[in-house]
Amino acid sequence: MLTFIKKITLVTIVSVSMIACTKNESSVVAPLTANVVKDLAADTVLGIASNGMPYSAGKYTFYSLENNAIVPNTDSASTKWDIAFVSTKILINGGTSGTGMGGAFVYTGLFDDLKTISADSVFKTDNAPASYAITYGSGKGWYTYDQATSLVTPLAGRVLVIRTASGKYAKIEIINYYKGGVTLPVTASDADKLSKQRYYTFRYIFQPNGTKTF
Amino acid sequence: MCQLCSVQNKAILFFLFIPLVATSQIKAIKDTLQRQGDSVVVTATRSERKLSNLTVPVTIINAKTIQQTGSLRLTDILKEQPGLTMTSGFGAGVQLQGLNPDYTIILINGEPLVGRTAGVLDLNRIALGNVKKIEIVKGPSSSLYGSEAMAGVVNIITDQNTQIPIQVSARYGTYKTKDISLDNAIHNKSLFYQGFYNYYTTDGYSIRPNSSSRVTTPITRYTTNQQIKYNINTNTNVSLGVRYTNEQIQNDISVSNGGVTIHSNGTENIHDYNVTASLNHRFSNALKTSFRSYLTQYDSKQDLLTLSGSPYVDLLNHLFQRVENQTDWTVRKNINAIFGAGSVMEGVKSSRYDSEQLRKTNAIQYAFTQWEWLPSKKMTFIAGARFDENATFASAFSPKLSMLYKINAVHKLKWSIGQGFKAPDFRQLYLDFTNAAAGGYSVFGSAQAQKVITQLNALGQVGVLYDNFYQLKTLQPEYSTGIHLTWDMEPNASTFLSFQLFRNDIKNLIEVQQVGAYTSGAQIFSYLNIGRAFTTGGEFEFKKQISSQFSLNGGYQLVITGDKDQIAQIKAGTVYTRDASGNSRRLTMSDYVGLPNNSKHKAQLKLNYNHENGIFANLRFLYRSKWAVNNTNGNQVFDNGDSFANGYVSIHSSFGKNFNNGWGLQLGCDNISNYIDASNLPNLPGRTFFITMKYQLNHKK
Repeated sequence: MLTFIKKITLVTIVSVSMIACTKNESSVVAPLTANVVKDLAADTVLGIASNGMPYSAGKYTFYSLENNAIVPNTDSASTKWDIAFVSTKILINGGTSGTGMGGAFVYTGLFDDLKTISADSVFKTDNAPASYAITYGSGKGWYTYDQATSLVTPLAGRVLVIRTASGKYAKIEIINYYKGGVTLPVTASDADKLSKQRYYTFRYIFQPNGTKTF
Repeated sequence: MCQLCSVQNKAILFFLFIPLVATSQIKAIKDTLQRQGDSVVVTATRSERKLSNLTVPVTIINAKTIQQTGSLRLTDILKEQPGLTMTSGFGAGVQLQGLNPDYTIILINGEPLVGRTAGVLDLNRIALGNVKKIEIVKGPSSSLYGSEAMAGVVNIITDQNTQIPIQVSARYGTYKTKDISLDNAIHNKSLFYQGFYNYYTTDGYSIRPNSSSRVTTPITRYTTNQQIKYNINTNTNVSLGVRYTNEQIQNDISVSNGGVTIHSNGTENIHDYNVTASLNHRFSNALKTSFRSYLTQYDSKQDLLTLSGSPYVDLLNHLFQRVENQTDWTVRKNINAIFGAGSVMEGVKSSRYDSEQLRKTNAIQYAFTQWEWLPSKKMTFIAGARFDENATFASAFSPKLSMLYKINAVHKLKWSIGQGFKAPDFRQLYLDFTNAAAGGYSVFGSAQAQKVITQLNALGQVGVLYDNFYQLKTLQPEYSTGIHLTWDMEPNASTFLSFQLFRNDIKNLIEVQQVGAYTSGAQIFSYLNIGRAFTTGGEFEFKKQISSQFSLNGGYQLVITGDKDQIAQIKAGTVYTRDASGNSRRLTMSDYVGLPNNSKHKAQLKLNYNHENGIFANLRFLYRSKWAVNNTNGNQVFDNGDSFANGYVSIHSSFGKNFNNGWGLQLGCDNISNYIDASNLPNLPGRTFFITMKYQLNHKK
């Protein structure tokens, strides 16, 4: 019995390795490691209009978690991207936002503690403008905005659990919203607070094998 | 400019130098502390008792201290007292033993002041010109004073027995601050009259660089206080008191929101009056009674015009009337009893309620009693209780028990345990406020939240209602149970030491919570009794008469606070913060700092010089450690990852001379080291100077 299990395990490992081999040149199964994306610009502020309001290009930044790369805006109607950012708003490629199979929810807890997405988890899809998979607004989703200081702070202990455009799974922790990955001091000038915001720093793990385990 | 600097620096040197010069001239004279234990206190027991016989901790600030520190407004003197912290935001409030300004009742001659904004009563409203003394009782005192006396009581007692027929003082200081006071009194066997008039004006100041808006706006205040007392016979007297304050504030406000700044300007006009009438009769040495009638109204109108031309008017009118009887009965030689009962009619009109024309009202009936028993010369027990019954929220019962034990001539022990309460205020009951400028969120007072939200829901405007919407019900008062332990020591005639320990457990805290959302997503809030918190700590005070001229006094306070529900969450591991790399981690208790705006450590050190020839000088150091101001990391809990205001020391000094012919001259400098923190301490201007001249027409018989 024991040997049988061993054999099965061996077979599984070998087959997984073989699958891995076909996709990846590495022949050893490495544990999944987190990718860190730094200073991903998300519709950064270009200036202050004459009416005093800040303005920007109004364009999303599309990102492929699978390829760990920005996807050009020309591919916005494809399944090449998984997640898109515009200021504090996040879109997932699915529902009203795209043609992919994407969905998401916000998990409360630590990034490293989320080993397996539980089977009864419900992935929400974007249903613009009424609701988004990653709820938009201060204190509701992934960040808090302080009116007194005009600063955006990603909430600690929040993990964005993502089903990608191709139906695989990833988990993301947003670390910072300011250029250089450091939140500006409360005393920073309004000009700095505007020009240095909308730069995402986040870490994520993408599970290429389609399982819900990281 | 540079000349001015050097003048200022010289002045500082001069201030610092005075005590040193004076020290070398001290002659050894027998030195004792003023017998403060003999001071009569009324606030602690609602009857005249010697300070040394009290069972609860009381601080007395006398007129001499008020004068010698150069204090003009109540704020100026309270900020120097041990265990008290001034707060900013909605005026200057006082935080007592870690509890917010909402929880300390402010009395003038035993009658409460009204007109709080967001729970804060602006203590700058109160001129100190004719104040005889200020009594501060720490710990729950609702058993005598009802709502708001949860953290303690500040009672301002005006001079009702002055022998000085005319007294004038004029002061000029930095920021064109002018203060002119006139006192006049007529005093004979049966009639006493005192009139007090005060004019105060300041240009305000801007301590933010490159800013046109002033942190403290230009203010002009007029105060008058008229008191008349007539002794019908040796056992009966009647008295009438009227106090009126008018305050005009020039506002020039800049509000920044997401990089957009809106300027607006306008005026705020406040009328505040109090009328007290009383009839006091002594039936015998063992029985006396007092009928008091009190009427007060606070009326504030703020007219603002934004530069874009849209007007904004904010009105608040609070009317409070009370009739009360108190009877004092000496049951036996060693048993004293007090019985009291009264009725309050209260009403508020505000532009932030559903109709600014309609006055929201509440009626309170209450009764209290207090029994004092002295089983021996060494021991005093006091037990008291009060019941407040009212129309709009749940009734409240507040008992208190305290004891004094004089171990010997040197050592005294006191302990007290009591329950205090704060009734829900009108805002928590009736607020009907929708902020169109900031996303259209609404806050509804609990008395009408269910009705209003249900109506909105029927109109299809409500998108979602949370579970706590269905939990909305009649608000309960907030309750605090306080325990105080005091050890007073007088090892010799020139030394006084006091050690105190306290703990306050607060439940039923009324907090704003989101109860639902509009279909637009904008939040809907109301008030619920949900919070539980505590404040605990210790205080140390000392007074030392160094020589016949020099005395030193000071203190240190430790205050630890916490939100019990947050502590439970932290212990359960459901609160998060970030490590140095920016990754999330669980918050631990060592990260937790407790309630915001609370400094853990405070200390005061004051050196005083008083010579028989009328010369006086003082040098005061006040320290406050850092305090949390903003939950920057968004985890709803104040921890080391949030933003703090820096701890600081402020130094103040003044000196002067009172001449025999009635003239007096005083010079002072506040905030000598020019400590400025524009964001967190808007009420602390930079270094300021003042000069005061006064004249007393001495009464000669």
